[in-house]
Amino acid sequence: MNWLTPTVAIVAASIAVPSLIILYFLKLRRRDLEISTTLLWKKSIQDMQANAPFQKLRKNILLLLQLLALAAALVAVGTPQMKGESPVGTRHVIMIDRSASMSARDETSGKGEPITRLEAAKEKALALVDSLREPGVLDRNSGDQAMLIVFDNTAKAVQTFTSDKDVLRRAIRAVTPSDAPSLVDEAFRLARAQAPRKIITDKRPDGTEGFIEGPAGPVGTIHLYSDGRLPDAEKAEASREDVVLFHAVGRKDAANIGITSLRAQRSLENANRLSVFVGMQSTFPAAKKVDVEIQVDGQVAAIKSVDLTPATAPAPGNSEAGRPSPGLGGAVFTFDRPQGGIVSVHMAPVEGDVLTSDNSAWIVVPPAKSLGVAVVTTGNMLLTAAMEGLPGGRPPVLFTPDQFESARATGRLAEFDVIVLHNYLPKMTGAGDAGLPPGRYLVLGAVPGGPNGLIDKGEGPVAQFVSWSREHPALAGVSLDAPTIVKSRLVEMPRGSTARAIAYDTNGPSIFELVAPDSKAIVVPFDFMETDWWLHLSFVVFLAQAVQYLGDDGAGLGQMVQPGGVLTDRLTQGATDVKVRLPDGTQADMGLPAPDGTVVFGPVQRVGVYQVSWNGTPGPRDAKVGDRAVRPFAANLLDAAESDLAAAETLSLATARVEAESGEKSRVMKQLWPWLLLAAFVIVLLEWFVYNRKVQV
Amino acid sequence: MLRSTNIPRPQSLEDLLSPALIAQISRLDYTSRKIFAGKLKGERRSKKRGESVEFADHRPYVVGDDLRHIDWNIFGRLDRLFLKLFLEEEDLALHIVLDCSASGDCGQPNKFLFMQQLAMALGYIGLVNLNRVTVTAMGGEIARPDGATPPADGGPDPSSPHLPATPSQLTAIRDLRGRRRTHDLARFLCSLRPAGVVPFTDACRRTALTRRGKGVMVVLSDFFIKEGYETGLRLLLGRGYDLFLIQCLSPQEVDPTGPNGLAGDLRLKDVEDADVAEVTISAPLLKRYKANLAAYCDQLRDFAARREISLLTVRTDTPLDVLILDYLRKRGLLR
Repeated sequence: MNWLTPTVAIVAASIAVPSLIILYFLKLRRRDLEISTTLLWKKSIQDMQANAPFQKLRKNILLLLQLLALAAALVAVGTPQMKGESPVGTRHVIMIDRSASMSARDETSGKGEPITRLEAAKEKALALVDSLREPGVLDRNSGDQAMLIVFDNTAKAVQTFTSDKDVLRRAIRAVTPSDAPSLVDEAFRLARAQAPRKIITDKRPDGTEGFIEGPAGPVGTIHLYSDGRLPDAEKAEASREDVVLFHAVGRKDAANIGITSLRAQRSLENANRLSVFVGMQSTFPAAKKVDVEIQVDGQVAAIKSVDLTPATAPAPGNSEAGRPSPGLGGAVFTFDRPQGGIVSVHMAPVEGDVLTSDNSAWIVVPPAKSLGVAVVTTGNMLLTAAMEGLPGGRPPVLFTPDQFESARATGRLAEFDVIVLHNYLPKMTGAGDAGLPPGRYLVLGAVPGGPNGLIDKGEGPVAQFVSWSREHPALAGVSLDAPTIVKSRLVEMPRGSTARAIAYDTNGPSIFELVAPDSKAIVVPFDFMETDWWLHLSFVVFLAQAVQYLGDDGAGLGQMVQPGGVLTDRLTQGATDVKVRLPDGTQADMGLPAPDGTVVFGPVQRVGVYQVSWNGTPGPRDAKVGDRAVRPFAANLLDAAESDLAAAETLSLATARVEAESGEKSRVMKQLWPWLLLAAFVIVLLEWFVYNRKVQV
Repeated sequence: MLRSTNIPRPQSLEDLLSPALIAQISRLDYTSRKIFAGKLKGERRSKKRGESVEFADHRPYVVGDDLRHIDWNIFGRLDRLFLKLFLEEEDLALHIVLDCSASGDCGQPNKFLFMQQLAMALGYIGLVNLNRVTVTAMGGEIARPDGATPPADGGPDPSSPHLPATPSQLTAIRDLRGRRRTHDLARFLCSLRPAGVVPFTDACRRTALTRRGKGVMVVLSDFFIKEGYETGLRLLLGRGYDLFLIQCLSPQEVDPTGPNGLAGDLRLKDVEDADVAEVTISAPLLKRYKANLAAYCDQLRDFAARREISLLTVRTDTPLDVLILDYLRKRGLLR
């Protein structure tokens, strides 16, 4: 039995009970009657009192009934509620994992129908909300409070702390699944941010008092509804006082086959030849054969049968894993496709496969196209030869600096996607932002200045590359271990610069990417001729990839976004009325693009093809539907961790190891006050009956 | 039970006795289980030998006897002198005691009015039968139509309104005889007002001490006497009266829930001593009340029966003619 507002009830009782008794006596102002003798009456009263030990009670039965009714009403004001077990604490943080793996359909509802893990988690969360103590009738702030955090790879506080159960239920029911991978750390950070701050009074030596914000107190009880597929759980940190209850959903033996990687590539030699690489994984304990179908713009292009190895049992002793490593498989589809299109890969449904969102993947393939490249050089044969050898067919146009400047003055440069500047920087009339006119540049042996540019600190000693961003498209697959930079250049990035280093040598940052609103550049500040880099294969690959990267306008071949990520792209200049069509067919407004044509949408929730359309000129690889330019984007899960669906029963957090809660611990909190009010009403009726019977005799 | 309001106070004989009732009761006379010595010649046979026409006995002549009573026939036959004795006919002393305590002034019909009427009827019967009628009012007040201050200790002057009724005092009209005193009796009865509390025992003692001869005594009261009626009645009995008690109860006292009855939460105040009883009328209480009333009456009846006292309990809504012609004859007070 819990009392939500006992104080209110006690105060009410201390006022109401004496009032009732006084009122009763006031009300019972007996009618004065003169009678012949009280002899018999006195005797009768004495007899009655002598005969009935409860005569006093009986005499005041009306008062007693009224007191009873009042007591019932007062107890109701105290808002008692009955429950077998009450949840720990009065503040609850409900965290619901809605990541892709939560869409696995391996749970059963109360009716025995298969439901997704998210639906099961929502049911459990609703049961928890039901079991929370209701706020009192008079004090809305009493009772348990709960907040709702929904997370996939980002966390969002859908509902802040409230004791209004209806609001919580509505918020929980409104949770939609997402196809994003799951990261729980942010959810915990968000929960910790909700902890009430402790304000400590600080007595200063001079006698004044100040207030210091102390460390945050415990946030409450954290209820984590997840399948335990949380790769970053070990980073998640709850404060020591917080109780973390892990409500596991999903089956431990859930098996799934999913597409975990997809890549499309045009052959370097023959741009028309398109290869699509599909990687898959299976968590079935047996080997599986799956039909994989590839469609281009909705037309089936090929079907292949893929053999998947069985998932291997975990090595004994390797308890962290405790999980079988999934079996793998894959297929390569190669076909001629000079024009672009949307390539989609679909896996035929497999019995026992519980997650459908990783059974399909999409990739947007741009048409085979050769870039327009201008090379501004004083006549470096090496560079010219390297550029001419790039795949794509169209030979680069060579300019001397003077020719370049005149072409620039006549506006001829618009036809070039990428301009390679060797030991030369365009003359800037004004103080340009990055020291570069609008466009895309590969700058070799020069340092663009300006606020968004770099600061040249002069020549440096001999250096070697130390590290480089292997994820940057320009440096992907490039090894810079071997080259030695004989005449390195010391370059600093000014504070607040948008420049970022993508490779470092022993002196510091050595290769940069500059991003300005209207220009983009990859800057190699040292002269490659003063190195032995050009002797290495990596130099040519770097040149090719950098040009490709800059020319691809950021939307390169097979570029895709993962659910939970943000879809961002640069549209052509002057694009207006930008809309995006979601995989489910609905349209969303993306707002006005930034001055450089960048638009942002997201985070995207579901896998599928997102089509961005706008009014304006289409880019070179954009389709044109009606008078609107259309550029598709693919969103794919492609996450091995999310496709491995076996639910975890323990969760290792940074602070504690949490076992899954078992059983239906929480029972519905029964509110007693309506019953008490009903009882009060019945007692009043009874009193009325007794009174009438008494009066009529 | 409740104190009556707008009580019709009788003003004259006609208010007390209707002519029809007078006609009906004129032929009645008192009986007594006891034969009392009278004071005056009357219509009642006495234990004494006297001068009536009815022969009683003979006795030998002794010197000094009235020669007129010698039975000369026997002297002729036996040559001895015998006196012829006749039964003496004497009057009967009828003493009507009226309880004038305030409790009488209650009920619907009013108990005191009922007692006044009954006393008048009984007194009238006594008067027409040449009995000596004495009416004593215990307590009460005397209405003073002239507004004059009565004497501090008025004598038993029946012809004038008198006597302030201090509680313990008695007011009496004594030794009325003959039909012509009817109006005196009526005037006395009409002047009575119930008031206050009567110390019953004390009043009985005084009544017994001031008695004039033995006879029939009729006590009219409700006998709701808190100090107890036993001692008082014993005192009256000790003087040799043939006691006849008439207990007058209002219908509301018999059944409090009837018309004009009680209901609800009440503070019942005794009209005599202002004693207060707080009651909430309920079925169990009423049941208990009725049981108590029955027990009280039974107790009185037992007490009376053991002492050869006649008791009649009547409701004040009983018609006077029925009461007198029927009940009282059955109970042997009248014939």
